[in-house]
This record gives sequence, C-alpha cells and structure tokens, in this order.
Amino acid sequence: MSENKKWHSLDLGLNKKKEASGACGCGKSQGSCNSQEEELSADEFYEAAINASIGDERQRDGFEQVFDVKMDRRTAFKKLTASLLIGAGAVSTSCSVVAGDDTKEKAQIDWEEQFKGNYKLMNDEEKQGTINRLMRSYELRTGKNISMTAENAEEDVLFGYAFNISKCQGYMDCVSACVEENNQDRNSQMQYIRIHEMKDGEGFKFDKADDNYYHEVPAEGHFYLGTQCFHCDNPPCVEVCPVQATWKEEDGLVVIDYDWCIGCRYCMAACPYDGRRFNWSKPEVPANEINKNQHYLGNRMRKKGVMEKCTFCVQRSRKGKNPACVDACPTGARIFGNLLDPNSTIRWVLENKKVFRLKEDLGTEPKFWYFMD
Amino acid sequence: MKNKNLTYYFLILLAVSFFSCKKEGEYHSITDKIEAESKPYHGKLTSDELLAGSELMEITEGKHTFLILERKGQIKSFACIECHSKPVTQMKSLDGQKAHWDIKMNHANSEIINCATCHNGKDMNNLNSLTGKNIDFNLSYKLCAQCHSSQFEDWKGGAHGKKVAGWAPPRASMTCVNCHNPHSPGYETRWPVQFNTQKGIERKEGLDH
Repeated sequence: MSENKKWHSLDLGLNKKKEASGACGCGKSQGSCNSQEEELSADEFYEAAINASIGDERQRDGFEQVFDVKMDRRTAFKKLTASLLIGAGAVSTSCSVVAGDDTKEKAQIDWEEQFKGNYKLMNDEEKQGTINRLMRSYELRTGKNISMTAENAEEDVLFGYAFNISKCQGYMDCVSACVEENNQDRNSQMQYIRIHEMKDGEGFKFDKADDNYYHEVPAEGHFYLGTQCFHCDNPPCVEVCPVQATWKEEDGLVVIDYDWCIGCRYCMAACPYDGRRFNWSKPEVPANEINKNQHYLGNRMRKKGVMEKCTFCVQRSRKGKNPACVDACPTGARIFGNLLDPNSTIRWVLENKKVFRLKEDLGTEPKFWYFMD
Repeated sequence: MKNKNLTYYFLILLAVSFFSCKKEGEYHSITDKIEAESKPYHGKLTSDELLAGSELMEITEGKHTFLILERKGQIKSFACIECHSKPVTQMKSLDGQKAHWDIKMNHANSEIINCATCHNGKDMNNLNSLTGKNIDFNLSYKLCAQCHSSQFEDWKGGAHGKKVAGWAPPRASMTCVNCHNPHSPGYETRWPVQFNTQKGIERKEGLDH
C-alpha cells in the first residue's frame, strides 16, 4: 500500500513497529487482526515526532551539526566557493603587490581582530595588542588618532554609587554629559541614564513616571530619580549571556566585550532595571564630538548589533576620576567611590544615611544605593 | 574501627563543605563583602594629579579631615578693607560708584538675617559668627553650619555637596559657597538641558520597548 502512495507522509516509526512485531500482517502480537488498531501512547508519539522532525541532530553536538550534514553536490560546491572567495580576498589583499601598504595593513589588522579571543581571557600583552590594533585601525580609516587604554581592575577597589533623591532637580546635566563622554549613538539618541519624574505622594511608579519630560524643572509636586546600570554584585545579565561577552570585573564593574557580543539581547531581557541598550543601527558620532580618551571596555566606538550600557565610565574611574555624570551633576546628588575604603564618602553614606536599592528582593545586589536628606 | 572511619568521613565532609562554601558566592550579600574586605585604600590611584591646579587647604571637623578649596584668592575684590576704609554708614552716603549693586538678598527673611548677621562692619576682612567671633573667609562653611546643622553633618561625611575631583584619595570637597550663592542660596528652576526627540517619536508610535 505504501509503495503506491502519491503523497508524502511523515514516518512516525509506525512501519518499523509493524515489521518488528508479530507474524501477522497487522502488526499485533495479541488479539485478533480485526480488532481496532492500537493507538500510540503519548510518550511514544512524542518520541516519534521528535525523531521525525530533528532526527539524528539530537545526538550530534554543535560541530557535527555544522560540518557533518548531508547535502547535495551543488550546495556543497556553492558553500565551498563562497568560503574560498572570502579567504582568497583576505589573502590577496594582504599579499598583493598592487595594493598599498595601508590597505595591506588594514587587511592584516582586520584579520587579526576577526580571530582574536574573548577579552576576558586575554593576558595583558594580548589586551595591549588588540587596543594597539584598534587605535591603528582608527588612524588608517580616519587619519585621526585616539588614545585607548586597557587598565585592569585595581586591587582593593570596589566601585559603588549613591543617589540622593532629595537633591536631584531633574536638570539632566548628567544625561548629556554621559552621552558626550561615552560616544553614544546620536541618531537614535541613546542614553544610559534615565531620570524619572514622579508625582509626590505616589511612591515609585515607574510605569507612570515620565523619563522624557521637557518643561521647567523641578516641577511642582514632583520628585526625580535617576536609573542606569546598577553594576549588580549578582548580575542576571551576566548569567544569561550565551557567549560570556559580559562579565563582572574584580572592581565590581559589569562590562561588555563589544567584539564578542553576538547581539542576542538576552541580557537586555534579563536586566530588571532596564540598564542595557542595543545598537539597532551603526552608532554614529560627529567626528568633532568623539571623545578620544577611550577604554576597550568603555566608550570606544561600538558597532551595529551589539549591546552597551553604563560602565561607571571605566575609562575615567580606573584613572581615579569620577564618572562623567557625577562631575556634571550641579546639585551633588550623585556620589561615587570605593566601597572597600572605610574612609570613603560612599561608605559614610551607606553607614549613616537610610539607604535602599531598587528591587532588593530579587537578590541582584545592585551597587547603587538611593537615599534622602 | 568503625568509630575511626566515621570520624574520617566527618572530617572529609567538613573539609569539603568548607572549601565548597568559599568558592562561589563567597559572601551572602554585598554588605557582607564590603565588611569583610574593608581596608583603607592606599593603592596607586590618587586624585593628586587632578587636584594639582587647585588651591587647597586641610581642615579637621569632628572625625573628618579633608581638603577644601581656598576661597580668599577667588574673591576678586579681596581684601575688603582696600575699599572699606571707613564705616559702611559713611560710605553709603557717598555719591558715585556703587559696589555690590548686584547683590540681592534672597536668603530666609529680614527678620532672621541681614548683612550684619555674617559681615562685620568693623572688620570687613572677616566674617562674623552669631556670637560676634571672627570667622575667616576661607572657613565660611562654619558660618553656614550655625543654622544648617544637618546639612553640615552630611557635608562632613560626604553625603551633601560635591568633590573637587576624583573618587580616589585624598578627599577634596567643595564648600558651601562653591555651589550656593550665600546671598541667594536656593537653586533656580530651569529647563532640562535636552529633550530626547527620538524617544518622543517612539512613544507616540507605541514602539517603545
């Protein structure tokens, strides 16, 4: 019967069963052949459906799934040619006699950058290597110099932040200082910091708060509260990253390797504070507005399709400076410092003011406290 | 024999649990971590370089010792007695140039405060405490602290006010008058420095995420 079929039907393992069991044609070992056909149990059906849909991919790991696939000759040739072309292109540019030295160097840099490892696993020499390449590449592309560093976390330093709700007046000087400092995309007007304008007497209602107001501030009957990345000590965003492109450094900063990020946005979904931003398009900053003091993990130029967020201005804080938002705040609502130093002002705030954090019950342990006068 | 074995097992269990607890999630909370690893910072990062351009002076208030910005050098018309050579009442009647014409008092009300609350007409080069003692212009925060005692407490600890530069030691704080105009100390209302038009559009179109 199945030989003459003119349609294709899924092989749910029914045929096999028939052959294997019993001598009788209907596949039953018990009862009469005329009795009703036995139905598959739920478990068996599930098993069979999976087998039919993904088959042996279930047993193969990532490598085999990519390389050990059945394909016809035509597809195989197509794929081979494409990869050969890419390889040949790279090789010919770097070895070509015609291409200029600059083009060759650029190709060489691009090649090495393409195949570099995760920043998290690099030793100091490799870190220096990649920032040198990035600086040279920027010079070759634009003819201008930038200074990029790769300072590691200092010993005995754990960065923390405190925000005085009674002092914030909603001027948003912090927001614009942050954008300028961190080379954020001007087209999409990306901002790490959000200042929420909330009604007095209603408590924290983030869904009702306005974080994009434009009127004279402070508005009567309102108070202001800023949020940004809280650099959690137990960061859920790090937990969910499938490629470990984001991690917590020794000094408590949660950072991203923009070159390792695959742009899946899991971290964005995992963050309970809306601290992360995604580059939907290629970030663009006018040449004269680019901040040229950069850090690999901080404000260096990003590309399309990667995550970014506040780094407590790693390019500044690891040099002993305050983040740009702290320096820009005209009211002194923002306090930054070393949580491990008992003489630091941030420690005085934590020990002497009534501090709290947002969504403390989640156990994310943000290093960003709020307090009031 | 059995007892001995049991003791060994127990010891191994203890050792294993000890090591495994220390590995991941060493501390129960960030406050535990801060408490346990707390240690005065004497690392290589300092604010010295950032503070190099500022005139600073060290003060000690209660338990706190830190730097503040020197003030006298910043006041354009200091020393005051260069002009104030005779009592103010006599100078007022003079015709001609009027100094300090732009000063408008907007600080509490005239029942509580007037010029003489802080300035000493007989010694213009110094400020004047409520009990009539001299206060140096460089230490003007002492004058403010007479009324604003809670702000003073917060300022000493570092919860009120700003640092001159950098988080790393040494601590250099701005004083009251670096942010507040003593004659009109309140902050004015003003417009935010920017508006995010993109966010505005996205909200209107319901594209906000």
